[in-house]
Amino acid sequence: MFVTGEFREKEPVVHTIRQLRDAGIDSSALDLFSAEPVELARGVLDRPSRMSLVAVSAAVGTGLLATAFIRYTQHDYKLVTGGMPLFSFWATGVITYELTMLGAIVATFGWFLRESGLIRRREKDAPVPHVDPGVICLRVRCPAGQAPETIDTMRRHGALKIERSGQ
Amino acid sequence: MATTPELLPYGRIREDLFRPLSGVSRNYVLATVVAFVIGAAGLVAWGHQLRSGMGVTGLRRPVFWGFYLVNFVFWIGISHAGTLISAILRLTDAAWRKPVTRAAEAITVFALMIGAMFPIIHLGRGWLFYWLFPYPNGRMLWPNFRSPLLWDVTAITTYLTGSVIYLYLPLIPDLAQLAEHRTLWRRTLYRTLSLGWTGSDREWHALERAMKLMAGMILAVAVSVHTVVAWDFAMTVAPMWHSTIFGPYFVTGAIFSGIAALIVVLAALRKILHLEFYLTRHHFNNLAKLLLLMSLLWFYFTMAENLTVWYGNDPGEMAVFAARTRARYAPYFWTMVLLNFVVPLVLLGIRRLRTIRTATIASACVLVGMWLERYLIIVPTLANPRLASASSTYTPSWVELAITAATFAAMVMLYMVFSKLFPIIAVWEFKPHPLEEE
Repeated sequence: MFVTGEFREKEPVVHTIRQLRDAGIDSSALDLFSAEPVELARGVLDRPSRMSLVAVSAAVGTGLLATAFIRYTQHDYKLVTGGMPLFSFWATGVITYELTMLGAIVATFGWFLRESGLIRRREKDAPVPHVDPGVICLRVRCPAGQAPETIDTMRRHGALKIERSGQ
Repeated sequence: MATTPELLPYGRIREDLFRPLSGVSRNYVLATVVAFVIGAAGLVAWGHQLRSGMGVTGLRRPVFWGFYLVNFVFWIGISHAGTLISAILRLTDAAWRKPVTRAAEAITVFALMIGAMFPIIHLGRGWLFYWLFPYPNGRMLWPNFRSPLLWDVTAITTYLTGSVIYLYLPLIPDLAQLAEHRTLWRRTLYRTLSLGWTGSDREWHALERAMKLMAGMILAVAVSVHTVVAWDFAMTVAPMWHSTIFGPYFVTGAIFSGIAALIVVLAALRKILHLEFYLTRHHFNNLAKLLLLMSLLWFYFTMAENLTVWYGNDPGEMAVFAARTRARYAPYFWTMVLLNFVVPLVLLGIRRLRTIRTATIASACVLVGMWLERYLIIVPTLANPRLASASSTYTPSWVELAITAATFAAMVMLYMVFSKLFPIIAVWEFKPHPLEEE
């Protein structure tokens, strides 16, 4: 089931998150909703990311593929090069570089869509709170038995509105 | 009393920045119609060129690169506005960038789209442009990857892809907010484009990470793009083109003209959309200082390039040098120096004179000056080849003039449409002040 609390300030949210995590709720069960990014201190609600790794891997992969492709095409139909080598990094390095960057850019965008959950919703049935500007909503996924404790924690830290939904 | 946008209630910021999206004034309609007519005239001219062939242009032996290539280099240069302002300032966490980044990123995308059209127009048989894509044709021929033309295609494709993503990513949160408020077709548009953004911390984290990565990558690509454009020229052994500093010289010029374009666009938006409170003198002052810095750098490169040619005294190069500085092209050359160096130095170098109006005037001068610079790089060299007896002149035809005018109109039109569909300032980047929240 889901419990959603609405807060006006960042500090109460931080305290609520800390207490809920101490009570055994995993950070993957917690979601914050806001109209603008909320910066939290390290360790409060970290979201590990592999975006940089994916970008670098895609860059290396695309770069190698591009180099192999160019090499193949230049040997597949041999043009007259006036004594110059058929394939040389000097002449094709620019294209390899650009395609390397293209691979990294597209991979970053693709991974952004995946990591943000925009194309692969983790919990399709989870309620999405309507967030007004200046408001921070904390949504907690917890077993039904733990809901009263979660609600109590939110209330103690100053949640203005608390809703529970789902089974 | 709130004195900066950051201290305003968030609701007020949202209202102010979303207001320009609704309703169209008579002046807006008039400007759009004028831009459309000029753009349509350019399309007619291009159609005439496609039907009749390249003979309708002023391109004659030995000048086979004229206005089209000048415009190509010019617009690709303008596209550097978004990169410098948005990417560098984002990476350095400069707070003053907030109201200017989206306007800059939009310039990049539109300028690139326009610039990328010119090689196709210049091809003559534009409908065959897909031959540039690497696929084996009927005779199992592949494109020649050693050709700088193919370098251009790859570089611009990468830059355009990256720039569109770079513009789109920070738009998503604003689109999600707009999805609740607008009329049916707008609601559908914004909902589709916002991809179901909910404002969760996972989305914000992913967005901020992606923006940081993209900023670094787009910067590297931007530098390479204009370097590649410079190498179109430097890879030949034509007089005054075969230069090792052409790469950085072009990149400097591109950033220079990009900042100038940004200042002009911001000044226009400020006035038309009544954004005086968000685009303040502080922003123009900072941009003006950057413009001045780039003016000095540009002058340094121009001096270095011309001095070494003059000192070398190579007959082939001196013919071009003389044509540029003392003969047929001298008025353009000295006007360029005046507009790109003297005017910015006086108007922006003297602090008392540095205002929003003078920064806009200096920027408009730089735009004209930089267009002349592109013209002076391309045409005199081709008109004065190493074989002196083959020298000639170049005069653009009405077709080239119409197409050139159409591209400026297209830029205006694209920008006007964009500013009516999307907030020109990233609303979510202004965080609300809790105490003043409504």
